[in-house]
Amino acid sequence: MVKAIFEDIRKKLNNIDVKEIAYAERGYHLAIEANLTDIVAIVEFFNSKGFYLADLCCVDYVEYLELVYFFNNHQKLCRVKTTLKLTPEKPVAPTISHIYTMAHWYEREIHEFFGVYFDGHPNLTYFFLHDGIDHYPLRKQQIPVPPEDKKLLNSFKPEEEEDYFSINLGPQHPSTHGVLRVVLRMDGEYVLSAEPVMGYLHRMHEKMAENRPYLQFLPNPARMDYPAALLFNLAHVTTIEKLCSIEVPPRAQYIRTITCELNRIASHLLYLGSFPADLGGLTPFLYAFDDREQILDILERITGSRLTYCYFRFGGLYNDIDDTFIDGTKQFIKRMRERLGMYEKLITKNVIFINRVTGTGILKQSEIPLYGCSGPVIRGSGIPFDMRKVEPYAAYADIDFEIPTGHTGDNMDRYMVRMREMEISLGIIEEAVKKLPSGPYNAEKVPKKLKPPKGDIYHVVESTRGETGVYVVSDESDIPYRMRWRVPSFSNLMTFPALAKGTLLADAIATLGNYDIVVPEIDR
Amino acid sequence: MNSLIDFLYVFVFIIVAALFAITPIIISYFIAPKTKGAKTFDTYECGIEPFGGAWIRYSIHYYIYALIFIAFDVDVLYLFPVALSYTKGANAYEFYSLLIFVLILVLAIIYAWGKGVFTWKRKILS
Amino acid sequence: MGKGGFHLETQDPIIRLAIADKFLNLARANSLWPMTFGLACCALEMMAASMARFDIARFGAEVFRPSPRQADLMIVAGTVTKKMAPTLITLYEQMPSPKWVLAFGSCAISGGPFVFEGQYNILEGVDKIVPVDVYIPGCPPRPEGLLEGLMKLEEKITGTRRFPTPEQKW
Repeated sequence: MVKAIFEDIRKKLNNIDVKEIAYAERGYHLAIEANLTDIVAIVEFFNSKGFYLADLCCVDYVEYLELVYFFNNHQKLCRVKTTLKLTPEKPVAPTISHIYTMAHWYEREIHEFFGVYFDGHPNLTYFFLHDGIDHYPLRKQQIPVPPEDKKLLNSFKPEEEEDYFSINLGPQHPSTHGVLRVVLRMDGEYVLSAEPVMGYLHRMHEKMAENRPYLQFLPNPARMDYPAALLFNLAHVTTIEKLCSIEVPPRAQYIRTITCELNRIASHLLYLGSFPADLGGLTPFLYAFDDREQILDILERITGSRLTYCYFRFGGLYNDIDDTFIDGTKQFIKRMRERLGMYEKLITKNVIFINRVTGTGILKQSEIPLYGCSGPVIRGSGIPFDMRKVEPYAAYADIDFEIPTGHTGDNMDRYMVRMREMEISLGIIEEAVKKLPSGPYNAEKVPKKLKPPKGDIYHVVESTRGETGVYVVSDESDIPYRMRWRVPSFSNLMTFPALAKGTLLADAIATLGNYDIVVPEIDR
Repeated sequence: MNSLIDFLYVFVFIIVAALFAITPIIISYFIAPKTKGAKTFDTYECGIEPFGGAWIRYSIHYYIYALIFIAFDVDVLYLFPVALSYTKGANAYEFYSLLIFVLILVLAIIYAWGKGVFTWKRKILS
Repeated sequence: MGKGGFHLETQDPIIRLAIADKFLNLARANSLWPMTFGLACCALEMMAASMARFDIARFGAEVFRPSPRQADLMIVAGTVTKKMAPTLITLYEQMPSPKWVLAFGSCAISGGPFVFEGQYNILEGVDKIVPVDVYIPGCPPRPEGLLEGLMKLEEKITGTRRFPTPEQKW
């Protein structure tokens, strides 16, 4: 596949600077250096081949700014990195939002953090930052926002109309799963347009990464996605280990797999509790949290925290597991299998639940590459794409498991995919516990001041919501030059305005709850 | 003349019910501390300033409620005098004539129900 | 942001009897209704505190009202960013009196782990904009911490502590 794309793009676009890269070192297969004239043609080429835009970010090398586009394919893994250099004084780039719909939000984010202007973007207004911010935060130097741009900051005011009214599904709402604000334009009970406004929980993780050494950044990923903190921990730690070529001992890999799958079940249980709560059924919440407490007890003994774990270290783990953990896990698996049967009867076979959830929020397979969704959202629409199978990390290569998919892509399919994922995770944990090797749990001779070699790397992990990617640019010092987090909830949420259009308000809320978004992950 | 005494009972009932509702309001007016901030009396909209007013034209989609009202409320209205004078009848045919009357009204509702008037459309494409 | 915080005029009650005060404070302390103001990670521990294991309902604080008009306790659980601050002030002003604020977690107390030189987006502590009654430290605090904070708040309202302090076991 990589060779085919390599030949194709050389044939189609002459004078293109494309190189093959060692995938094991860098995490991507091809690197293309584009310039302002042919970037749109390159993007159209990838769109025609069925690639999706995995990430679009910007790095500030002080003499120039570099826009980085990552493309990937759902059918067969082929990751392509395209870079575009821009001048730092007045950086202007052509927009690709007419080709890939998700670039709308990515380009707005780059505009407000770096000051890059996108030609042809329909709505280049601020997204994350608050009114009154007067500099571009992620630039290396303090560059003030020019005054003619400041008026873009507060340009979000819907007009008053006679027949339709705009209402806030505001930051403080019991069913927006965090501080997400959606401005709905309603025609009676039907939603005409839904526009999310983000940034109410922007906690500057990417700026913090540029300010502290790699080891000091370890607590941060857990705060990004708190229900599934160990998975984000894993993303961070595996990326840096790949960059520094640190060998992790197999016992640590297996323990990482076991704890990550336990955390995945805990996160899906939270979804199981809160999704029916959005629809009005408040009972499963109590049952789901009861099971969650069992998992939290098991993990608390070895990691020390209940929610925001910081258990992995570069080269292994912080603590070894003991027999109590293994016994507790085995008992939990037995118990959970019975409870899953109970959840079937309580929720899945409930007539009200079935009527409210089937047939709403249908996401078609053809729309998915435009948005770059990932996780249960695309598996519900029938694409069996799971990073644990496509790019195995930790101990997933040795464990056999299947990928659940749905057919139509409605809310019920995504719910069933998550239920099946819980069962499959139980199977993975069982197998990993059986195969657990003995040995050291930490690699030897990992320096305390980690100084990775110069270069960049992109590594992806399948977290509970989808494809979580970390792009690290290192300049040989012990502080990262740039650490970019590609979060799944951001691209999943982009489909919401399209799916909610024209539906009843109750169905729109059900769709929003079904994405299982976590807002601190989006706001980083 | 003796039925006017019944009205007295109804009157006392109304007064007691009203007092039952108003007394806590009066008590809290006297006892509770009051605060007033800049935004205290604004409409609550999840913490954000509301856009425009809420007194716009009612959407046509809510006509379903009007339909349901007409269907069932007219029925109930005709049954009130029946309820009052039900114990005074003695013949069986009165019951059957009432039953036929109610059934004819119900037929209209069943027809509307079968036509799907009482359901919301799941998705309007606009 | 930048407005300097809340602006509240209070008016004392018209009739105030000392013995009624004692009784009223007892009633208020044992039926605090929290408002759902979970912002970030601490929200999950707040939810866990209201579930079957660490039942907060047995202390009277069961109904988490989403609307500020019906709540009298605002548990600020999570980081308050500068974009969220005006919303918080609005909601605080829309709560009826008497009201209390619990700062849950280190982000609400003083910015938490997100304070670094050059930070541009968070408020270092929610007590910069609203008056806080009880601070509960932790990142995130355990649900038992929330229950203890509730006990402290009850002690502040009534003057006496209803439940014994748990003895240290280590």
